[in-house]
Amino acid sequence: MASKGGGMMARYAAGVAVVVLAGGLAGCMTEKASLPSSSSPVAGGAYQTIPSDGLVGRWGLASYRDEKDRARTTAMARSQCRNAYVIKKGPTDGVMMHVADDPKLYELALKRSGDGKTYLGFAAPPGDRQDREVLEMSSNEMTMRFVDPDANTRYGTFIYVRC
Amino acid sequence: MPDVLSVIDRFRPAGAALVLAAVLGFASPLAALSPTRVPSPKAERITMDVGDEPGRISTEEVTIKSGPFARQMVFFRSNEAPGTIVIHTSEKFLYLVMPNNRALRYGIGVGREGFQWSGLVKVTRKAEWPDWTPPPEMITRQPYLPRFMAGGPGNPMGARAMYLGSTVYRIHGTNQPETIGQAISSGCFRLANGDVVDLYPRVPVGTKVVIRHAAQI
Repeated sequence: MASKGGGMMARYAAGVAVVVLAGGLAGCMTEKASLPSSSSPVAGGAYQTIPSDGLVGRWGLASYRDEKDRARTTAMARSQCRNAYVIKKGPTDGVMMHVADDPKLYELALKRSGDGKTYLGFAAPPGDRQDREVLEMSSNEMTMRFVDPDANTRYGTFIYVRC
Repeated sequence: MPDVLSVIDRFRPAGAALVLAAVLGFASPLAALSPTRVPSPKAERITMDVGDEPGRISTEEVTIKSGPFARQMVFFRSNEAPGTIVIHTSEKFLYLVMPNNRALRYGIGVGREGFQWSGLVKVTRKAEWPDWTPPPEMITRQPYLPRFMAGGPGNPMGARAMYLGSTVYRIHGTNQPETIGQAISSGCFRLANGDVVDLYPRVPVGTKVVIRHAAQI
């Protein structure tokens, strides 16, 4: 994982220059399924970045695979604040989080693709294999899943509930 | 399912030692049971810790197909009634007692050194694709893990679980079938998913479970 992680960092460092994150919440993340409004497109117009400050904080974290388990998984996430997942602000306006199978923290950014989907990941085009797809986001709850089919199968869909 | 003669023939490489163990070890009265290690608060905290990784997949179809840990009918002399589960941690076998001195034997993974125990319990609950809550120590090592994982193929608890008494220990599946035959768990007994799926309907709630931890013969 170390070499993979190092590659990730190098990849991030190379790409971070083109990631422009708008500052402030600007009314984002207040409604469920209402994602933050995008900032201006990055150079080249490949994708847009989104303010990620709303992710900062302590979150109860749980996962499920089957939709029938969603409600109770959300309840379990809500009860996990004693062992919360902590998201801190990154040095270049992203947020410090983990990617799949790697205990190191990396700075990740929210990105919006041309089809309107939102992703969280390195400074690469949205939908990159190492990204998470953000399915829902509000000020108190987020739902994400890994783009990588293998990681998605293994870990399922993640529910974050703010502590 | 092989008949008893072919099983005995297959059983031969294990030698008379296993038969002797069955006779000497399993036929003694239950009153003689004495836990070598009872569940402690520490054990409760670290159950499902070492060797339990969510980053693997094992489906319901995965069984141990060959070797001594493959599911097979064996000669098994015991005073236990048919339907009783007898677990021998040293041999890493789980026996489901059948009539006529036979048992259905499954290869299992058991608790690592210091986390093996013996006793008499009953199956108090059963669950298909049980949920999993990684212990805090595991979250420290793998901080990206969810703090709760609903049951599914990547879940270290595997396809089925049978809860033992009021302890934190279970007979359960695994997403790491390669660990069957090893002492790696924190006291639970794990079977390959296909094998625990086979065992599950044979074991109703209330089933008597005898866990023996005897020295190797």
